Amino acid sequence: MRSLHELQASFAAGLLDSACDGVLTHLIPAQRMNTRDGLNVYRSNIFQNYRSALGDTYPVIQRLVGTDFFVQAVDAYIRATPSTSGDVHDYGEDFGEFLRTYPGAADLLYLTDMAKLEWAVHRSYHAADAATLDLAQLADIPEEALPALRFELHPSCRLVASPWPTLTIWRANQENADMQALIDLDSGGEQILVIRTDVEVELSSLPAGDYAALAALLSGAALGAAFDAAQTQDETFDLGAFLQHHVLNGTLANIHP
Amino acid sequence: MRTQPYPDVATPSYAAPSSVGIGLRAPHYREILDTKPAVGWLEVHSENYFGDGPPLNVLEGLRQHYPVSLHGVGLSLGRADELDRTHLTRLKRLVHRIDPCFVSEHLSWGARADRHLNDLLPLPYTEEALQKVCAHITETQEFLGCRILVENVSSYLRWQHDAMPEWEFVSEVARRTGCGLLLDVNNIYVNAVNHGYDARLYLAAMPVEAVEEIHLAGFDEGAGCLIDTHGQRVAEPVWQLYREAIATLGPRPTLIEWDTALPALSVLLDEANMARNILEQEHALAA
Repeated sequence: MRSLHELQASFAAGLLDSACDGVLTHLIPAQRMNTRDGLNVYRSNIFQNYRSALGDTYPVIQRLVGTDFFVQAVDAYIRATPSTSGDVHDYGEDFGEFLRTYPGAADLLYLTDMAKLEWAVHRSYHAADAATLDLAQLADIPEEALPALRFELHPSCRLVASPWPTLTIWRANQENADMQALIDLDSGGEQILVIRTDVEVELSSLPAGDYAALAALLSGAALGAAFDAAQTQDETFDLGAFLQHHVLNGTLANIHP
Repeated sequence: MRTQPYPDVATPSYAAPSSVGIGLRAPHYREILDTKPAVGWLEVHSENYFGDGPPLNVLEGLRQHYPVSLHGVGLSLGRADELDRTHLTRLKRLVHRIDPCFVSEHLSWGARADRHLNDLLPLPYTEEALQKVCAHITETQEFLGCRILVENVSSYLRWQHDAMPEWEFVSEVARRTGCGLLLDVNNIYVNAVNHGYDARLYLAAMPVEAVEEIHLAGFDEGAGCLIDTHGQRVAEPVWQLYREAIATLGPRPTLIEWDTALPALSVLLDEANMARNILEQEHALAA
């Protein structure tokens, strides 16, 4: 008799690939159907579950490529990429990388970055809340202590940089968006901040200096190093304005003790 | 169920035997928050609140007004290998945040090795599977520090290896582990039709004292089988079976589940009223 391990392995293989039908001989179908159709009920439940999850996470991708193409791509992704969590919200992180080489999608160069942006929005929504910093706390710090200062960014904060106008395309593909506007793909890249300090996830396009400074802070760098990183991108980078904006915005959630 | 101090919660963590709850789904958040409908309790899929952010905030807010039951779909109690400790840890955190009236999972498997299938797949009803699932239930109860309920699932296939009927497997799980049973009456009906047995035999085999909760939902007619979609009103033969279950078991907290093609909240409340009427009628008859 086959062990539970063996039965589950062959059932899983049969679900994902209809050619792996060794499991069929171990099964008895519901009375009025054959075994293959019984397995199909499970297969379609599983694929439908992931299609629905990825459809929720990647609505703009779905809109850009159309539902039929999206479902085909998701089905291929499901076969190529195992879910590794019992929480289906964790599934689909590298869907963007998958699209980079998926036939038919590879020509749409911005899809991968769009998927990364949508994944960032998804994760930001489910991130923890945090108290926000008070500008007065910063004002109390002597100027000579500023370069060594480290910040905790808001837990919902995500940064996405793209050589394409990815945020502009994202906005044009939201419900109620004005679809009249034609987007010039060569209009330049965007460096995007994704953050949720209340109920809604907010997206904004950042100046190059701000993006470089936040990326440095996010990686654990001190404010002095973040300032240097920003200045290499933008000589006119204004640290005071940056701090004020991102404290008020909630991006800089806490000063590291 | 309390194992450590919980945040100050106004509503006790208890679902009365004759109370009817509904499944809480995101499209109904606003209306439930605004209107606070008179239902006995709310049940959610645990995994939908493993993250932080607005969903958990909504649930914690509603917990102030309702008992909440945590119903898991992703633990894979019947997996042949080891339980996922990360999953258990996330569940334990949620249990401590919500102080639930029930913590439940399914008598099925959905993961093996490094791959989750995120579904409720059928177990062979063998002594080997029984021992494995019982060990995992015990591990879960010890890890969480509370008793859990396990639910019978609907199925479209059975295993050639089955050494006992499903009802024997289900009642044996409760007997060996001390866990409670979440009896899904719709699943019993679906399986009885699909696999050709008498649903009343199944009901009669249930250990009365172990059944802590009942689920009701709607099925769809597939090609050659009934499919447990949770996308319809409860079917008339399932209501009938529910009446018989209540007559045998006595009143039990009962949940209306709806997952696909989610209708207006009023439809769920209407179904909950149907269940409440049956509970009251059966209670009056017994009195």
